[in-house]
Amino acid sequence: MIRFEKVTKNYPGPGKPALDQVTVDIDKGEFVYLVGQSGSGKSTALRIVLRELRPTSGRVYVAGKEINRMAGWKVPRLRRQVGTVFQDFRLLPNKTVTENVAFALQVIGKSRREINRVVPETLEVVGLKDKGSRMPDELSGGEQQRVAIARAFVNRPMIIIADEPTGNLDPATSVGIMNLLEDINKRGTTVVMATHDHGLVDQFRKRVVELDQGKVVRDEAAGSYGFQH
Amino acid sequence: MQLRYVFTELRSGLRRNLSMHVAVILTLFVSLTLAGCGMLLQRQADKTAEALGNELQILVNLCVVDDPNGSPTCGGGAVTDPQRKAIENALKENPEVESYEYQTQEEGFEEAQDIPQYEPYFDGPDPIITVEDWPPQYWVTLKDPKEAEGVKSAVEGLEGVSVIQDQREDLEPVFGIIDSLKYGSWIGSGLLLLASLLLVANTIRLAAMARRREIGIMRLVGASTLYIALPFLLESLVTAAIGVALTAGALAAFTRFAILDGLADVIEFVPWIGWDDYVQSLIGLVPPGILILGPALTLIPTLLLTRKYIKV
Ligand SMILES: Nc1ncnc2c1ncn2[C@@H]1O[C@H](COP(=O)(O)OP(=O)(O)O)[C@@H](O)[C@H]1O
Ligand SMILES: [Mg+2]
Repeated sequence: MIRFEKVTKNYPGPGKPALDQVTVDIDKGEFVYLVGQSGSGKSTALRIVLRELRPTSGRVYVAGKEINRMAGWKVPRLRRQVGTVFQDFRLLPNKTVTENVAFALQVIGKSRREINRVVPETLEVVGLKDKGSRMPDELSGGEQQRVAIARAFVNRPMIIIADEPTGNLDPATSVGIMNLLEDINKRGTTVVMATHDHGLVDQFRKRVVELDQGKVVRDEAAGSYGFQH
Repeated sequence: MQLRYVFTELRSGLRRNLSMHVAVILTLFVSLTLAGCGMLLQRQADKTAEALGNELQILVNLCVVDDPNGSPTCGGGAVTDPQRKAIENALKENPEVESYEYQTQEEGFEEAQDIPQYEPYFDGPDPIITVEDWPPQYWVTLKDPKEAEGVKSAVEGLEGVSVIQDQREDLEPVFGIIDSLKYGSWIGSGLLLLASLLLVANTIRLAAMARRREIGIMRLVGASTLYIALPFLLESLVTAAIGVALTAGALAAFTRFAILDGLADVIEFVPWIGWDDYVQSLIGLVPPGILILGPALTLIPTLLLTRKYIKV
């Protein structure tokens, strides 16, 4: 589903590469943690999957396509297959919960009928069935992140990429978000989650890929967070 | 494709940047009006030169039957072919002549239809002037406008020459005025067009800033570049449409009040532009008319800048 072959990324300017000869292969339906200290290259790797960034060298395959050589006009199609969730939720503050989720479908040209069917369904999946008409600032952090997950999932992508989705949440709320991501994963969606939340990684055992200064230093099925922090 | 979002955005975009849009529309309006006036004046100059010669030309009228000037060199009635040959040779050999062109009676008669002062003579079932009365002419372009005496005296006495028309003194101020107005319009228009380009660029930048969050999410969920750019393009198109409509009105007023009801009544020996020239200034291709210029001036910077701001 996602495959990195000897991927190196140098940002402009001096300094070590953000990713250094990274080779990882993630299958359909897997749940993978990407762990490592701040600055180890997790976000860089995720942005490469979205083709927000291009690697300096190496190949990246997503859903069977080599995305670095993909023509620019095909990139939107790639992104429709990859849902994204961020630490800071990124909701539109002047739209209701329902409108925020519907927005993702509107702007890719889905019909109103389909939107009216799928959005409530998805809000139910994330446990916000009754809060569709709330504004984002009327929700708790955990609920806002559920809206963001609903928006990422509403188009039923093959992959969900989450960059520190629990970074702004307290531990109890984080567990709820993890349960939700696990649920989505069980429905067949591949989930890649960058995190440095030890507790979660140790509690919800999944495959762990650890980065250190841009290099893969560990790739372990059902691993723990490890000793470094 | 669901365009509800696009139109909602268009409306809120127009409202959000109302003052900028008004500024764009006004500069666009004034600059396009000046450009249009420049085009009309250019057409006026061309038309005048076509009918009466330009400031470098003198006209040699040849004899017709019953020559109205009663010139002694017209003794034999209408000019004959051998006479015409001789006249043409004299022109060919004269050092003051840059070039010359022969205009038949029909061509000359056709051109003269637009000149206001002749109008009464062409009218009616039994017009005073017909094609047969219109003299064939040589249009002689001089090398140096100050040196015309040599060619005039060389041709003057030849058989078949009725009269030599030198209207340069009358035409010079006409062309002078047209030219200075034309260049004035073009310079003014150029400066204002630059100003409207910059205003458009600024408007886009502000709009892109205001919509940064939405644009970020649209890119993330896979909206196409065109879809993201559409509200911007439509905003530009709306301002262009209003600017063009105002310009079309202003140029119509210019044609009506300045030309048809103004100059054409005062200066009667020049053929004046009319509504067909007005239409050309709107939809012409070369030079591009207002209907092309206006949208191009707003859409091209919009396309370039949205590409920059919403790059996927
Ligand atoms: N836009 C950027 N320009 C330059 N350097 C960057 C940029 N983004 C990240 N980096 C650098 O790349 C390295 C990896 O960063 P990142 O992928 O954000 O790590 P993580 O998400 O694991 O914290 C860091 O050293 C960071 O400073
Ligand atoms: Mg990061």
